[in-house]
Amino acid sequence: MYEAVIGLEVHCELDTKSKNFSSAPNFFTEEHNTNVATVDIGLPGILPVANKEAVRKSILTSLALHCEVPNEVIFDRKNYYYADLPKGYQITQNTKPMGVHGYLDILVGKEIKRVFIHDLHLEEDTASLEHYSKYSLIDYNRSGVPLMEIVTEPCLSSADEAVTFLEDLRDIFLYLGVSEAKSNYGQMRCDVNISVKKKEDSTLGTKVEMKNINAFGDVRNAISYEIERQTALLSKGEKVIQETRRIAEDGKTYSMREKVDAIDYKYFIEPNIPSTPITNQELLELKQQVPVLKLERYLKYIDEYFLKEEDAVLFSKNRELSDYFEEVLSKGADVSLTVNFMTTCILSTLNKLEIFLKELFITPSMLSEVVKLVSSDKMSLDAAKKLLYEAIDAKKDPMELVQKKGLNQINDRDVLSKLICSLMDQNLEVVRQYVEDGNMSAVNFFVGQTMKTSNRQANPNLSREIILEELERRSDKNGS
Amino acid sequence: MIEVEKLKEYAHKLMFDMKEEEYQTLQEEFSTILKQMDLIGKIEGIGDVCPMTFPFPNPDASLREDEVGDYLTVGEVLENSKHQIDDQVKVPKVVREDV
Amino acid sequence: MYRGKSITELRSLLDSSEVTAEELFSDANTLAHRFQEDYNSFVTILDTMKYKKRDSLLDGICYALKDNFSTNGILTTASSNILKDYVPVYDATVVRKLKNAGAILLGKTVLDELAMGGTGTTGHTGVVCNPWDKKRMIGGSSAGSCACVALGIVPFSIGSDTGDSVRKPAAFGGVVGFKPTYGRISRYGLFAFASSLDHVAMFTRNVLDAAIVTDVLKGKDPHDMTTLANDEKNYVSLLNQDVKGKKLFYVKEICGIDVMEQSDDLELKETLARFHEVLDNIRKEGFEIEEVSIRKELLEAIYPSYMSISCAEATSNNSNLTGILFGPRGEGDTIEEIMFDARTKGFSEFIKRRFVLGSYILQKENQEKLFLNAQRVRRMLVDQMNQFFQKYDAMIAPCSGGPAPYFDATSEKLSDRYLILENHLAIGNFGGFPSITLPYGFVQDMPVGLNITGRVCEDDLVLAIASHIEEITGMKDLYCKVGE
Repeated sequence: MYEAVIGLEVHCELDTKSKNFSSAPNFFTEEHNTNVATVDIGLPGILPVANKEAVRKSILTSLALHCEVPNEVIFDRKNYYYADLPKGYQITQNTKPMGVHGYLDILVGKEIKRVFIHDLHLEEDTASLEHYSKYSLIDYNRSGVPLMEIVTEPCLSSADEAVTFLEDLRDIFLYLGVSEAKSNYGQMRCDVNISVKKKEDSTLGTKVEMKNINAFGDVRNAISYEIERQTALLSKGEKVIQETRRIAEDGKTYSMREKVDAIDYKYFIEPNIPSTPITNQELLELKQQVPVLKLERYLKYIDEYFLKEEDAVLFSKNRELSDYFEEVLSKGADVSLTVNFMTTCILSTLNKLEIFLKELFITPSMLSEVVKLVSSDKMSLDAAKKLLYEAIDAKKDPMELVQKKGLNQINDRDVLSKLICSLMDQNLEVVRQYVEDGNMSAVNFFVGQTMKTSNRQANPNLSREIILEELERRSDKNGS
Repeated sequence: MIEVEKLKEYAHKLMFDMKEEEYQTLQEEFSTILKQMDLIGKIEGIGDVCPMTFPFPNPDASLREDEVGDYLTVGEVLENSKHQIDDQVKVPKVVREDV
Repeated sequence: MYRGKSITELRSLLDSSEVTAEELFSDANTLAHRFQEDYNSFVTILDTMKYKKRDSLLDGICYALKDNFSTNGILTTASSNILKDYVPVYDATVVRKLKNAGAILLGKTVLDELAMGGTGTTGHTGVVCNPWDKKRMIGGSSAGSCACVALGIVPFSIGSDTGDSVRKPAAFGGVVGFKPTYGRISRYGLFAFASSLDHVAMFTRNVLDAAIVTDVLKGKDPHDMTTLANDEKNYVSLLNQDVKGKKLFYVKEICGIDVMEQSDDLELKETLARFHEVLDNIRKEGFEIEEVSIRKELLEAIYPSYMSISCAEATSNNSNLTGILFGPRGEGDTIEEIMFDARTKGFSEFIKRRFVLGSYILQKENQEKLFLNAQRVRRMLVDQMNQFFQKYDAMIAPCSGGPAPYFDATSEKLSDRYLILENHLAIGNFGGFPSITLPYGFVQDMPVGLNITGRVCEDDLVLAIASHIEEITGMKDLYCKVGE
């Protein structure tokens, strides 16, 4: 009878060469204060210069999340004093975020849930602080790293939904190539706002905030714990206190401080960054760069390709794999054979060689040709796999190998009959076992022999068919 | 008239304090400027005007290409800081972990 | 020996090898020290010169720089205790450009603390005095930069102008003060006061020199997104463009005959009478001058709007001054305490009052009425100016209701007095218009200045008009010969 209302604020560091408002390098390093420009430490006289790529990546994400994108780029200042904020203000977007009113559909269990996005804005990360027992140390490397913040409406209702949303969001970042989104590097972090109310109540309960949670597992624990804690309080008729809590290693949340009145950040438009227009043309081009996303692909794989659940999940999760898969299919390859090849040969090779798909020598069109060898019965599945591994090792086009080695399948009935008859003549004892005792293992024996003798080129199905016919023929002869 | 206590609160949020008599002066200034701003609110047609941040639209404004350019050495970053440990700036332990 | 000479005069002396850059520097250095006690132009006087010969009109010429421009390795205080020990690690773009032009930095000049003020009295190293009369102020905030040009120590200096911080003191010092179009000169390295109003500006002793300096300083800067593309114009050669028949306007409510007649202030009467005489002379030389009218309530809104916008931006811009990474470190056991202590000790009372005001204006519940309304006034005034600029080429006005005030005459407390005539120059900052002050006469043996403000991006036309008016008034290459 109680339900939770959860909203998320997700921060994601964008993958760019330089920082958001300075041309200092943007990469993680243990060397303190080495990626720092005048702008990043707020020296007197500095001016921010906005990064085009950070803007592009945030608009791209905004479009992928079905947001409305403004017609100009402008930034605002968010003013507050803190040790990790050298300018005394953070440049962010308040007046015109890169996107508003968006949504992302996620699959929770078997249900599609629409998560509404309040806004997506581009801002800058702060410096990092290391705390020691008697003092803290400031490293400005992270100061000014482009940071994208995605704020959901308070529309999630469980830890499952929240974590699925976060995972799907991360997959989108990876799909779009906007961020590596490694939560262990803090590249993706999340604030959770959560309240609990009676189902029938129309007003929201008292909100608890939990800030800067990196690991998705912690998000799950924090939400589960809070739902339990707040529900217990309410059922006892007690009140939930509006406060900020943190998640500890024991999976429980602890109060950090009670919320006094909200901080007034005194937002105003950043006067040093003139408005730059976002033209319809630019928007159109960016829209074309947004790929079909995970859920849509997953549903297609299930509904149109009839993939098994686990295969559909596997292929849709990673854009590279999914694109590859779809490209193989687009060349006319059979779906289930393609899945077979990819889940075995391709993925095992990637694992074994520890390489990315894009580094693999076998292109989708090469794989589709191999698949077609099997589906058109020109080659057995086994032989085709063997061929593929050989091609990977030799870094050769498999079809080149086929031509060179004459690896094509033997489908000629007469050729196979002749071969099979001679094999039976050499193994009369086995024929007798079939004829007299009806021992079916004789069939498999001759299929094996046929494959072996033909250097695996015999069409196994056709061979089996001929073997059965020949054995029956010899039985009839025997009986008559 | 804005109370001195309020003015103190505002000053403290800006991370400084002032002397008592200085708050008195500030209080007078506030009433002057607020009176003037009241008059501004009464200017005919002001409600129809869009607030202006930039002096004029800059036709030459463009975003920066994402390339690494000039940046500082560690020595330059810390040049003016007399409190350092291990190439970082030392400050008293930060206890307030919000914002 | 070379005191009071203009850039142009020094150029020809250098080119004909009658003097060396070293001699000029040494001469200027001696003068700077000689006048320091009496007038206090400088925070820092450099005793060794840094110079590389370049092919430029400014090669070998000494200049002074307001102490709110970042200079690599040279103390830069913004005349505030909060930066009293700050040695920057980078050069402002203007500093770099001047270096590349072979100009030689003589020293860093006193300003009103953090450039917030108009009196030259609030710098942490003391008051700057007017060379023409030590009992009077030179005005501010670019006080030292103005005083050292008015004293003839250097032929030009760099200042910054947020409301009138170069153009007003220029009038009080009898020199030329030019603020080009917003974005014409990069602000990178200028310590921000109010970013949307801040302009790099300069003092010279004639209009030609202002054109020379602007030619060197202007241009797109990758460090400043608000800079304009190069306009491919040479302002020096465009000084002689034909300005006959150009149309000027003055605003009745700022400086019309009525203002003169209705006032019982004798200084003001004399200042305006002299101004109208000059207008007559200018008309005789072929300019058209007409009177226009602007709603008085709008003009009276200039000052409070300027205060609102500039204090709001300033509060934010100066939030970096916490003593954590630079500037004197405060004392305390927590980071909040050390910031609090550094800022309490580092800012003067006057600055703190401005910050509290600015932050109040930005508070969520006040923004609409205090900040956004000020920004609306800004647009109304700029729109009004642009309307006039459709018909007229430039506005002409006196810079002030009189010569430089005595030190005890005004305090920096906000007041209602002379609301329009003393504050109208901020229009130039509201709209980013090119705007130049030049002397037009003397009142009570003190120089007074007039101002020409023109269309955005037409810096060349404003300079050309000013140059012609300079010929008409004959008030050129002035400096105060005190001590000669």
